[in-house]
Amino acid sequence: MFNIKGFIKTSLVDWDGKITSVIFLPSCNFRCPFCHNKELVLNPNEFENISIEEIDSFLLENKDFVDGVVITGGEPTLHKNLPELCKHFKEMGLLVKVDTNGSNPEMLKHLIDQKLIDYVAMDIKAPLSNVKKYCNSTGLEEVNIENIKKSIDILRKSDIDFEFRTTVVPTLHTAEDIAEISRFVGRESKLILQNFTPRNTLNNEFTRIKPYEREELKRMAEIVKGYVKDIKVRG
Amino acid sequence: MIKMRDDGFRPKQVLIEREADLQKDATDLSLFVRTSDEEIKKWNRNKITEALLRETDISEDAAKIIAREVEKLIFSLNIENVTAPLIRELTNAKLIEYGLEHIRRQHTRLGVPLYDAREIIINHNKENANVPHGPEATNLTLAERIKKEFALIEVFSQDVADAHMRGDIHLHDLGMIDRPYCSGQNIEYVKKFGLNLPNAISIARPAKHPEVLIEQIIKFSAALQGTFAGAIGWDAFNIFLAPYLVGVDDTRMKQLAQILIYEFAQQAVARGGQSIFSDINLYWECPKHFEDVPAIGPGGKLTGNTYSDYMDEAHRFLQALFEVYYEGDALGRPFFFPKPNVHITEKFFTTEGHEDFLYLISKVASEKGNTYYVFDRGDTAKISECCRLAFQLRESDLEDAKQPWKMRYSAMQNVTVNLPRIAYEAKGDDTRLFEILRERVELVAKAHLQKKAFISKLLNLGKNGPLALLAMELDGEPYYRMRRATFLLGMLGLNEMVQAHTGEELHESNDAFFFGLKVISTMKKLADEMEEKYGIHMPLEQTPAESTAYRLAMLDMKHYPLRATAVVKGDKNRGEIYYTNSTYMNISVPISSIERVKKDGKFHPLIEAGALTHVWLGEHKPAPESIANFVEKTFKNTQNAQIAFSPEFTSCLDCGKVVRGLNENCIYCGSDNIEGITRVTGFFSKINSWNKGKIGELKDRYRDRAI
Repeated sequence: MFNIKGFIKTSLVDWDGKITSVIFLPSCNFRCPFCHNKELVLNPNEFENISIEEIDSFLLENKDFVDGVVITGGEPTLHKNLPELCKHFKEMGLLVKVDTNGSNPEMLKHLIDQKLIDYVAMDIKAPLSNVKKYCNSTGLEEVNIENIKKSIDILRKSDIDFEFRTTVVPTLHTAEDIAEISRFVGRESKLILQNFTPRNTLNNEFTRIKPYEREELKRMAEIVKGYVKDIKVRG
Repeated sequence: MIKMRDDGFRPKQVLIEREADLQKDATDLSLFVRTSDEEIKKWNRNKITEALLRETDISEDAAKIIAREVEKLIFSLNIENVTAPLIRELTNAKLIEYGLEHIRRQHTRLGVPLYDAREIIINHNKENANVPHGPEATNLTLAERIKKEFALIEVFSQDVADAHMRGDIHLHDLGMIDRPYCSGQNIEYVKKFGLNLPNAISIARPAKHPEVLIEQIIKFSAALQGTFAGAIGWDAFNIFLAPYLVGVDDTRMKQLAQILIYEFAQQAVARGGQSIFSDINLYWECPKHFEDVPAIGPGGKLTGNTYSDYMDEAHRFLQALFEVYYEGDALGRPFFFPKPNVHITEKFFTTEGHEDFLYLISKVASEKGNTYYVFDRGDTAKISECCRLAFQLRESDLEDAKQPWKMRYSAMQNVTVNLPRIAYEAKGDDTRLFEILRERVELVAKAHLQKKAFISKLLNLGKNGPLALLAMELDGEPYYRMRRATFLLGMLGLNEMVQAHTGEELHESNDAFFFGLKVISTMKKLADEMEEKYGIHMPLEQTPAESTAYRLAMLDMKHYPLRATAVVKGDKNRGEIYYTNSTYMNISVPISSIERVKKDGKFHPLIEAGALTHVWLGEHKPAPESIANFVEKTFKNTQNAQIAFSPEFTSCLDCGKVVRGLNENCIYCGSDNIEGITRVTGFFSKINSWNKGKIGELKDRYRDRAI
């Protein structure tokens, strides 16, 4: 039995170039103050379960359009049966992408080794050298940075395609932080800078923060271009 | 005894007796009349008689009697000044009193009450989001008010006019009754003949330089806008511009694209303060029917090559054009006009460079939303204009393609059938429902024939008539080719019709959906029958229904309150109600875009004159590759005829920043001095210019993740 709390039939924004369906799994071990899925993180039981049959029936009927399934959350790697879920979709002939915060390297490695996923988008919340900043960005008292680093390493050494993502929030991140993240993830990696939107945030205070202008994000991206394989601004 | 010519006139004894009394005292009274000619004239009873005789079929004797009666009434009121309109209405009252109803009708005065005129001059007209507020715009509104009344009294028979007023059908653009609906043509006409318009004070020879050609095309578009109610479309624009672009470098190419877009986008200074509703049709490949056509180049002369020889220039212009769309205006907002319709055909996918081009136009679709993807499958060729109007080129038209300046197409008029009302009237009876549908389509055909007759009358006045531009014969036949005109049969609220009749909306069950398909295919069959019967080509069209969706919903709430309340969409408490446009499914229900393009697409082959599926993006900005992927699958896996991706923007008028999504305040400076921008029906506009029904619809629009 899979614990699925959300299903978006069609998405053009969750996997560049692909048409996907998106599946939301409940709960998260982080409390990022800028998170937009706060209900799913804080009160996952208020959501009805969506049956896998309903999802399958849409996917089968629309295989001529849907390239793959994106599993997101919450934090999908918290769920022990994530490999089975991935396998389920792989067997239907679909591509599978997982979104993760990188806190569970064992699960990530397992999914990759067992060839259960085709793409990973991993969030990097702050520079990895600065535990304080990482805690601020994740809303936690402490964060196991080693696990995050392990996950980054697993992805870089794997032969699947992946991207790192940072949601850039004015009070949390500076251009220098972005540069540091870029240097850390290095030349094998693609980095996506996502603009923060001050709406429906986990920490209500954050709705009052003015986001960076798109031009500023583009300037940040321009500065670090040499450090990474590819850098893009999204949103 | 007085002899009466009028059948309806029943002389009354009283009247004749009074005649003698009246004659003696009328001459030496000092009553003054404020006339319509800005003059104050002394009272003269004969003016009434003269007007009646000039304007109506009344007999002279009867006219005199009426005039005396009116005079007597006015004098008995003991006033010093009367106005001409008051005298006319008093005369009309007398005509009714004497049973001369049809004379009264002929004697009608058209105009607006003072209150309305004040409202129109001071407040914003929201019937058409493309009309800004200003003296030119209010001129247009006032003129349209009078022409609308004129149309309903003079052009259409009473049954047709009544059906419109009741809301059984909707006659579009009544205020522009003296013009055909829309026009699609080829720039070859301007290239070959220059700018030589009737009544012009100067004549321009064919252009030698691309800048001049573009200027001429825009001026010609403005002239056409003055003689058509709606869209002005240009076919295969980049293909035909290409011979002028030989040797043009990248900088100049971009400049040319900017001239074209800005000139069209900023023509809000034209008629009625309204932008030219302009469409440019674009091709990456050279359409088969133009490949071997001899190319016309600078100076209107044949270049010795064919159009397929200029594809390099045609491509470079397209790239420059979409770069300009991508940048948007000075604030980075999308250009509202001209609308770029990119035709996607089988040949598109085999033409070199199509991947990069598809990426570019999809980047524009994601960033600004401008791109329309028009799917021409198989051997059909189409030219599109207006919100979603497309003309299928028929065999005879393909013959025209050899002389492209001859390619001039027009829809004469658009009439929409109020589908939900048919369901209310049929009361659940299938047979009755299809009977009423037939009656309504018959009525639409009748309306078309009446408009056709009226426009023909104007065209027959030739170069001295009001439609001189359309009567000009630079190529040996009138610019307006009546035999090529189409007559549009539109539909509104299929979803609510099906809901009222079957109890389920289109998306709720297969049965409901198939019933909807049956209704539309029946409409198509009936339209074909009308073509046989009356000789007018009557293709189905998805009515854009910018104000109709609101008007007909309001009328049904009034006439069928119980049945309409159950199906009408929107916020009833705020009066923001609407019927779902054309054949669309409920727009507030989370139906994914894949399902929408597929299901909508099932209707599209029946709707020859143009159909479109919107993908509402909201604040999302998909990767161009994902949009390109979606477009290619829609072309290959569905029957959908056209799609467009519609983002939403909030533009701050204080700090000048433009962001995605519709917000109540600027997210940067907090100002509420903002403008929301998105598509209203087929085109972009500012939300503050929308009518109530469309505001209701906007609130309901379902946008899922990027879709």
